[in-house]
Amino acid sequence: MNLPEIIKNSEAYVAERFPVEKMSYSAMVVKKEVPVHRLSWAYYMGGLALFFFGVQMVTGLLLLFYYQPTVSDAHASVEFITDHVPGGSLVRNMHAWASSMMIAAVMVHLLTAFAMKAFAKPREITWVTGVVLLGITFGLGFTGYLLPWHQVAVNATKIGLQSVQEVGQYLPGAMAEWPRIVKETIQGEAAVGQATLSRFFALHVIILPLAMMATLGLHLLSVQLHGMSRGIDGPPKRQEKFFPTFFIKDLTVWGFAFIILFVIALCVPFESLYSYPLFEPFNPKGSTPDGIKPEWYFYFLYYPLELLPFWVILVGSTVLGAVLMGTPWIFQNTSRRTLQILAVLAALYLFVMTVFGEQIYHMFKG
Amino acid sequence: MNSKASNPRDAGTPRPGKELAEQFLNFPSVPLCLCGLLVFLLSSPSALAYPEFQAFVAKSSGRTVNCAMCHANSDGPEGTGPGQIGHLNAAELERLGRARSALQPGQNVDSPILNAFGNHIIKSIGKEKFVELKVSPAHLADLLPPDSDLDQDGIPDVREYLDGTLPINHNDGNPLLLFRHNFRANLVAIALTLAATVCGVWGLGHLLHGLAAASRIKDTED
Repeated sequence: MNLPEIIKNSEAYVAERFPVEKMSYSAMVVKKEVPVHRLSWAYYMGGLALFFFGVQMVTGLLLLFYYQPTVSDAHASVEFITDHVPGGSLVRNMHAWASSMMIAAVMVHLLTAFAMKAFAKPREITWVTGVVLLGITFGLGFTGYLLPWHQVAVNATKIGLQSVQEVGQYLPGAMAEWPRIVKETIQGEAAVGQATLSRFFALHVIILPLAMMATLGLHLLSVQLHGMSRGIDGPPKRQEKFFPTFFIKDLTVWGFAFIILFVIALCVPFESLYSYPLFEPFNPKGSTPDGIKPEWYFYFLYYPLELLPFWVILVGSTVLGAVLMGTPWIFQNTSRRTLQILAVLAALYLFVMTVFGEQIYHMFKG
Repeated sequence: MNSKASNPRDAGTPRPGKELAEQFLNFPSVPLCLCGLLVFLLSSPSALAYPEFQAFVAKSSGRTVNCAMCHANSDGPEGTGPGQIGHLNAAELERLGRARSALQPGQNVDSPILNAFGNHIIKSIGKEKFVELKVSPAHLADLLPPDSDLDQDGIPDVREYLDGTLPINHNDGNPLLLFRHNFRANLVAIALTLAATVCGVWGLGHLLHGLAAASRIKDTED
């Protein structure tokens, strides 16, 4: 294949994924239809993740008015927000709870999209941008975890960054140094300190949200251009209008989600889920409390990491990442039935590791 | 040993240095410092925290707990950090001494090395009884006032002690109990928010239906 042919094929590929003739209000909104069937509920998961991202943006901007990204003041400023700013406790709790809900929604969205074969041609770009969005969401969770500068935040970040460096021992030649360089670049200094906090703050409030918005724009454009995937093998019960019928249903789901989030944030402080010593200000000279671990959405990786050799997790994570990115091509000929079984198994693994990970760890390690 | 250390005269200061020693003792802040040192040294055997209580709470609740449940400093009373004995000034040492003499219940206790819950325990049962309970820390819960709730989070201090949560932090407690208390306390706000959300979604839905209908009419006319 010569160069002109490659360019021609690439143009055809892009034109099929981003058809210009469909880029109109009429095609993307008025004429768009959504299939109705037993898995229709899954169509709302993406919108739900988008809603929680919106909540994160609004509450995050409000927290910025008071938060101080310095090691001396970060913890005190968070305590000030919680205890003295009117509505501060609610806003902070909404930010914390919505982050967990957003990650849960994104994970369910990914699994259901996989089970419904929503990655099939011409929706490859939708899938790949979705996987990138999942990575950015995890990145937002990881960087945001450090900002309150309490014991669990700093110590869990240290463990996370140390894991990055450990990758080096399995890489050949000069590449063995790359993870260390990446770690030091993120960390900014010899140990987790002010430079780390500044970098995580910049990543959390500027770089990752901008990356999220750009990728989200591409993802939503792709969704609107190609419509919802069929989702099931047989014919759907019926089709319903995207606008206004499905859109209003989506808004109603957002309303429910808001009420649930509001009540939980108002009534259950996020901190109450953890032991109180973990939320004391980080003291480099003080003792490290027991029970340091990452947020729940990393348990699926954290507990296996505690139980198995590091290289097993490294190989597993690399393969998983490659499979996720290559899903539209790897599973293009796989039946929806098989995909559903795989999705259920993955969901089961995530559930068991998240809820029973600690018991499993104690069972094997004593 | 302590008295010797606290008084250089008893330690047998050599005669040629007698004048120097008197000048030293006449310096205004020196006697105060020596008094402080004396109090510190006399009290240091009893300055140890009581890890029996911490161990009991950690085991019975399954939660990580530290000295901050009762003490001002999460690393306990010994050391030179804020809320620790080595950091106290003369006035605070005096307060510490008064708190330690509260052997019987009912006395106002304001120890600088204890937090509000620690002071509350000593005030409620007295230092003597508290020390006795070292062998059976579970019984502390039976002796504390059952209705006291220092952080006003709806969970009695006794329950927080048994649950391994902080009785002086209203954001820390059994999540279900906190939910029940806060839900009742914020019922009006929740009802109003629910009404506003339902009205908002309902109104927005009608607005969008109207826009869609208008758009269809316009398309038909075109």
